[in-house]
Amino acid sequence: MLKDLFVPNAKPRPGVFLTMVACQVAFLLLLWLFYPLQLFPTLGEVVASFKDLVTTQGLIQELWASLTTALGALGIATVLALLISYLTALPFFRPIAYAASKMRYLTLTGLTFFMALMVSSGHQVKLSVLIFGATVYLVTGMTSVILTTTQEEMDHARTLGMSEWRSFYEVVVLGKLDEMLEVVRQNFAIIWTMITLVETLYQSEGGIGLLLYKQNRYLHLAGVVAIQLIILATGALQDYVFEFLRRTFFPYSELRAAK
Amino acid sequence: MTDFSYKEPILTLRDISMQFGGEVILRDISLDVLNVVRPGLSQGQVVGFYGRSGIGKSVLCRIIAGLLPPTTGTVLVADPPRPVCPGDVGFVQQRYPLFDHRTLLDNLLVAAGRKHAPAEAKARAEDFLTRFDLAPHRRKYPAQLSGGQRQRAAIAQQLLCSEHLIILDEPFSGLDIAMIDEVKKIILEVTTLDELNTVVIVSHDLATTTALSDTLWLLGPERDAAGQCLAGATISKQHQYNLAQMGLAWQPGIQARPEFVQLIEHLKDEIRKT
Repeated sequence: MLKDLFVPNAKPRPGVFLTMVACQVAFLLLLWLFYPLQLFPTLGEVVASFKDLVTTQGLIQELWASLTTALGALGIATVLALLISYLTALPFFRPIAYAASKMRYLTLTGLTFFMALMVSSGHQVKLSVLIFGATVYLVTGMTSVILTTTQEEMDHARTLGMSEWRSFYEVVVLGKLDEMLEVVRQNFAIIWTMITLVETLYQSEGGIGLLLYKQNRYLHLAGVVAIQLIILATGALQDYVFEFLRRTFFPYSELRAAK
Repeated sequence: MTDFSYKEPILTLRDISMQFGGEVILRDISLDVLNVVRPGLSQGQVVGFYGRSGIGKSVLCRIIAGLLPPTTGTVLVADPPRPVCPGDVGFVQQRYPLFDHRTLLDNLLVAAGRKHAPAEAKARAEDFLTRFDLAPHRRKYPAQLSGGQRQRAAIAQQLLCSEHLIILDEPFSGLDIAMIDEVKKIILEVTTLDELNTVVIVSHDLATTTALSDTLWLLGPERDAAGQCLAGATISKQHQYNLAQMGLAWQPGIQARPEFVQLIEHLKDEIRKT
């Protein structure tokens, strides 16, 4: 039973696995409580800071503001990225997808200036920077998924008398929708790393990124850790929601995975 | 010997050659599969297709299925004959591909819907589910099917929308004796569905395939007068075996007959020579 935890590819019982996870979490908390160097804020300090952030600095409202901005940006970026990726079926559009993918190497700080010239409000600048940042990463992941399409898959559709477009729709669009959702899930994290930057550039609308920036600036380490933990928990919840959506709308997806 | 006669062509290959990057893969392949008629019987036929690994069998299959245009030559199907288009010839590839995102019933419906109105497509899909012993699994996804069920589903899907011709790529590969018997039954079932149904079996299992076949094709390189191998593989006249005319088709227990054993040995020798 316990030895299963150290055997490659073993499948421990759920009870054993959950106990193991609980023990690992408890160990980390204990390590935190009794960490000898005290470079890191203590658990008590972080909890106190968390309470303070919630009651006096509107942590929940700021988190909500950031989350809605992030979700809005992700929604638009997903539609754009799907469009760009699917258009790679046509040779004419392949350079666009290639260029979009390479643009992930651009720094956002340099982009915000151009965005500010193009759109009118601070909110729009923030949103467009996030959309741009997410789109280029999503295009990279989505085109990789499309490239996994095999000759066998396409031939199968063609032997059923499907036209090239219908074959593409059946095999690539419908057949890989679950994998596209997985790409969106994986790349949602990138928005959280960008949101801190854009929220500090346009501070009028607040957001958890701005809150984090302030805590960092005034060396409130306990506050920084508390906010990071909140972002971490939100991310974990997001992952769970995406997994749930995948299981609900694409039940076949899990069946294909190696067990 | 069973009484039979040949009628119109079902499949015609005329001067098929294929080159990739200047390398000749297939050369001058010409052959006909004719509708074989047996009095009192409404049964299609089976064509066995052999060749060593890497010789170009898959390329020829893709050409016959209309998936790959040959460098020269034409493939004609149907009556009256017309150039093949993708969808005219069913092609069950080795790993029995199905649409993994659709249930088994949906997989059959999407195929039947290519040729029939929705109500008829549904009726035909249901009929094939029953015929192929798949009805209890209609709501399952392909990943939930066993290898045998998946193979039957892939064959049924291709039959629902092809024009009587179906190519099975290595249908006996990796199967045990019981499963091979099961696949043989399915192939016979396919040929009895319609008099024009023709199953082309691409296989390395010489004995099993020959026992099922009416005709055999052996793909291999030809030698010139000096004994040198010519570039590209072909199916020469001498490598097109009409088993019906040889009295080695449509007979149960044929594998035990000395003439059959002799033919298998001859085929093995021919394959070794190539």
